[in-house]
Amino acid sequence: MWRANKCMALVVAIALLVPMVGFAQLADLPRSETLIVSILTGRSVPADDFNEWVGWKWRDRGMQNLANEPLWSVDFATGEIINGLAAGDPVYDSNFFHLEIPLRQGVAWADGEPFTADDVVFTVETLMAHEGFNAHNFFLDNVELVYKIDDYTVGFDLKQANSRFHTTFLDRWGCTWIMPKHIFESVDDPVTFKFNPFVGCGAYKLHSYEPAGAWTVWERREDWDKSPTGILYGMPAPKYVVFQHFANEGAEIVSLLTHQVDAADLSSEGLKAALAQGKTIRAYQPGFPWVVNNDPAITGLTFNTAKAPYDSADVRWALLLAIDIVEYVAQAVGATGTLSPVHIPSLGSYPDNFIRPMEAWLEDFTLDLGNGETFKPYDTDRVDGVVDYATSAGYIVSGDIEAAFGLGWYKHAPDAATKLLEKSGFSKNADGEWLLPDGTKWTIEVLGRTDVNHLQSVNALAAVQQWKQFGIDAVYVGSDAFDTLTQNGDFDVSGTWPGYEPWGAGPDLYRTLDYYNSAYVQPVGTLTQGHHSRWTSDAMDTVLEDLRNTDPADAAATIALGIEGLKIAVTEMPGIPTFGYIGNVAWDEYYWTNWPGLENPYMQPYTHWGPMKYFLPSLEATGN
Amino acid sequence: MAFVKRYLIPRLISYILVIFLGITAVFFIPRFTPSDPVHRTIAQLMSRGTYLDPASMEAMVEDLQELYGLEGSLLQQYGAFWKRTFTGDFGVSFFQFPTPVSELIRTALPWTAGLLLWTTMLSWVFGNIVGALAGYFSRSRWSKALDTLAMVVRPLPYYIFAFALLILFAFVVRWFPIAGGTAIGRLPAFTWTYIWDVLWHAFLPALSLVVLGGAIWFQTMKLIVQNVNAEDFVQYAKLGGVREGRIVSRYIMRNAMLPQITGLALSLGQILSGALITEIVFSYPGVGTLLFNAITSGDYNLIMGITALSILGVTTAILVIDLLYPLFDPRVRFR
Amino acid sequence: MRVLRDLFKDYRFALSFLVLWFLLIMAVLSAFSPYDPLIWFHGPPNLKPSVTYFLGTSAKGQDIFWQATYAVRNSLIISVIAGAVSRVFAVLVGMIAGYRGRGTDRVLMFFTDTLLVMPLFLIIVMLALLVRERMTLVNLGLLLAFFGWAWDARVIRSQILSLREREFTKTAVLSGTGTLKLVLKEYLPFATPLIFSTLINNMAWAIGMEMTLAILGLTDINIPTLGTMLHWAISKQALFLGQWNWLLTPVVLSVLLFIALYWLSVSISEYLDPRTRVQRVGGK
Repeated sequence: MWRANKCMALVVAIALLVPMVGFAQLADLPRSETLIVSILTGRSVPADDFNEWVGWKWRDRGMQNLANEPLWSVDFATGEIINGLAAGDPVYDSNFFHLEIPLRQGVAWADGEPFTADDVVFTVETLMAHEGFNAHNFFLDNVELVYKIDDYTVGFDLKQANSRFHTTFLDRWGCTWIMPKHIFESVDDPVTFKFNPFVGCGAYKLHSYEPAGAWTVWERREDWDKSPTGILYGMPAPKYVVFQHFANEGAEIVSLLTHQVDAADLSSEGLKAALAQGKTIRAYQPGFPWVVNNDPAITGLTFNTAKAPYDSADVRWALLLAIDIVEYVAQAVGATGTLSPVHIPSLGSYPDNFIRPMEAWLEDFTLDLGNGETFKPYDTDRVDGVVDYATSAGYIVSGDIEAAFGLGWYKHAPDAATKLLEKSGFSKNADGEWLLPDGTKWTIEVLGRTDVNHLQSVNALAAVQQWKQFGIDAVYVGSDAFDTLTQNGDFDVSGTWPGYEPWGAGPDLYRTLDYYNSAYVQPVGTLTQGHHSRWTSDAMDTVLEDLRNTDPADAAATIALGIEGLKIAVTEMPGIPTFGYIGNVAWDEYYWTNWPGLENPYMQPYTHWGPMKYFLPSLEATGN
Repeated sequence: MAFVKRYLIPRLISYILVIFLGITAVFFIPRFTPSDPVHRTIAQLMSRGTYLDPASMEAMVEDLQELYGLEGSLLQQYGAFWKRTFTGDFGVSFFQFPTPVSELIRTALPWTAGLLLWTTMLSWVFGNIVGALAGYFSRSRWSKALDTLAMVVRPLPYYIFAFALLILFAFVVRWFPIAGGTAIGRLPAFTWTYIWDVLWHAFLPALSLVVLGGAIWFQTMKLIVQNVNAEDFVQYAKLGGVREGRIVSRYIMRNAMLPQITGLALSLGQILSGALITEIVFSYPGVGTLLFNAITSGDYNLIMGITALSILGVTTAILVIDLLYPLFDPRVRFR
Repeated sequence: MRVLRDLFKDYRFALSFLVLWFLLIMAVLSAFSPYDPLIWFHGPPNLKPSVTYFLGTSAKGQDIFWQATYAVRNSLIISVIAGAVSRVFAVLVGMIAGYRGRGTDRVLMFFTDTLLVMPLFLIIVMLALLVRERMTLVNLGLLLAFFGWAWDARVIRSQILSLREREFTKTAVLSGTGTLKLVLKEYLPFATPLIFSTLINNMAWAIGMEMTLAILGLTDINIPTLGTMLHWAISKQALFLGQWNWLLTPVVLSVLLFIALYWLSVSISEYLDPRTRVQRVGGK
């Protein structure tokens, strides 16, 4: 008995001791002055390599979003360009063979050295001199000569006319960053150089990092006022910013609920769970649909137009008409998506600049169903359908409905789809299954990723359900080789974005449309350089040619050409645009408030995008 | 000398052949999967925001193929691979270009080895001792209770079990950390604070591994011991009045150990790939995630580096066990 | 009949027999499911258990009970294929290598060892990438079978090795007993409990491996199995949204399935082992 008692006493003592010793989430960092953010892209391995010009270096661990300053950033919430290291817009000559970039004065690197035109010239020359830099070939192809005009002006002579050359320095989730010349010039091999500790022009400097890449800590510079962030917006509020890695979403949610992380990017269900369980958790929008819906990427489906029967625009349109978008968006993302009928998302200035001006054309757009029948697919009522669904599901829909759910989409018209398919020689068997023109059963493999919460998978899964109901044998295939398979054209339909993102929601659609350039298409089996649909058209090539010869600063002309391009894409429908990218951002207001939510959208809301550094000065500590 | 000629040399030859065949298989299999490392790199850079001018992409593909050493036929690559491997060079990682593979492994391996080496040993020792006792006293109440416990715990999906521990001890009662291997801001140092911190973070992952692993060893050992216990020589020993402790340790354990020791060698060998789910649930650093990412991104060199180490480790373990067999079971002689 | 009557004297056998029947009936019920398991939203999502939806519905709007019947059926198919096929290999290789020794042993163990030292998980993940949509139940079962026999072959071999050294082998060989007869008559009874326990280990391993692969999203996640059900419940945060019915159904079913298999194997192997049977049944 005596021994048993002693054992019990020991167990009790340990049990009491454990919570007393406890554990500290932070070692020697004051929690109330520290902002903790979850890393989006994963564990930063190798952790000691900050050379972001070579390969992929986990830039969202605080490099691009905190310690780096680009020449320009784009704030996709407004579509505005923020001048970082540049003092203003680039100045091109009339034939786009030459440009000059004015630089900001009074900026210093984190180690105190002043930033000048020498750094920019050095960066471009170094990138051109060494194979292995990501941008090596781009600069070789484009730059004839780069030179310093004075300490704060850089000049470029180009090898070919390029009215968008400067966009390589425009940060829209990454760009060409400027190297500190005083560090890189003494390095033997700048490709293998680790650039540790990292030195940027941002308001933060590297404090410490875990050798296995689980976290990176940044500390506010004493001379933060010598960074563009400080000059433009004032002192960033958090003294320390931590980027932490979570390998599963459950742990991220638990960390939010226990105030161990302040901002995280979750899945649709993850955000719902966090909001339901946490009293201090908020989302981007104060009410339903909660999500960040002004991300400049459009999601949807992409057809492999190099493969029959998806090489036929009639078949592609038939598959679109077989989709009931209300059900689709309800199943895919709980009706939180903003519909868009065109290959750019319905956000920011896009509805006013592009979609509304196109509405008359969309209303008139007519499909030829064969046998003299025609069909007008566009329908503004679809948005009301989504709102009705959300209301019936018990959500309170208030605020700007068009901003939250879009302007319109296409009708659910299985009859018209049937006629379109029959026109192309398809038929149905006795069981109601669709057969290909050659009489064999039609099976569509819809490719997604293994992560079923990725919006590419979500779209693919929803499409499978719609097409199954229409009588097609559709199968979802989730693959880790998604990228290779889509690039090489080894798929039927995939969840690839139907249109590439423009430069962060600006009025210039050149980047989006250029991916349809016929010059980039490679045969199936090899890596294609353009859009993975491998779709091209002469009309689109003409629009691109015109765009190349238009000054991007001439908004009216650029927008008009953009609309022309979008019309061609709608007519041919190489991929189906569904809803804009959805960010399920969760913020904890226990330590920090005044997040850039929808009621006060002073800056884009993501912590992994570059302009995160520009909203840190506006955060307010709660004093907890 | 007959031992060397008739047993040792053939055994060593097969040891080398197994390693050769294993590594060869791992060289070729990933090259037939649809993931192409060059394409993956480009897709990775593009999907993560690096703007690659479509016009200069072709030149980039060629550059990357050259940098990655993927030029030439498969056989040429295979030859070049062995040439490099004999100098101990596994090349650079494609996915984390230009970091050498050896460096990536060096960062991740201590975590995996530290966690898994001793949890594997601990659950083996623990499971076997308790299992042997429970098998010997199979009619006692505690033996049956333990058996039931092991039976219910063992089939729990590991992910669920580990996650339940996390919720229980890091959320409901907040005794242990949610994620990571050390506190944020704590740098490696040979101090008590650091060591305590590492142990603190390793506790839940280790607990999940020891309980589930131990349950498996417990069950197998219990069955084996129950069997041996029924054998004549044990019964004679009992009738002959040999002390019970001696019966368990000398007569039963020794006979029951053989398959269990083989099992230990093999499970030690699976360590390198075995920790993936642990690493995911506890956001713990280690080789598992590294390897998984290497597979999905077609990072041939990194796959090769980790696998070669793993193959070398487990073959050596088996060889050693084979040579040590007679020490444990004197009835087996080398032939 | 006497065999069964004897077996039923063991409560473990009786219970596991019942549980297995229950699971088998569930598996058979899948044939009568009113829903296509591949179609989503045949009911409203996220319902609690009710009369209409016996176990509630998932976030995908699928009836969890009927989904579970498919899951049990499919997981059983995978584990039975994996277990049975790999047993044939394991027993043959283990016995032959253990008894014949010398050259045969060396060649067989060479192949076994090669397979064993391959980091299994890695190979399975790579193969899963290779076969993509062709990851059917049978293929998955065969894949697991192919990688599941080597360990057990070695275990069986070492048992035979140790049996071979015993007196009765020598007596039998000297008295002219044939190899086959010796193996079947003298070794198999000793090895049977081991074979059974490896079979159960293997089936459990197959179910566990299927779950791990499914949780990582590497199997065909359209097909309901215990693993893919769990995959969806985890991915859709069933735990934090309070959908216990969804999360616990596959967990409880897999625990039940495994306990039944385990008890079945223990009681059958005890029955088959002549020595313990005498103790238990009382030497009838």
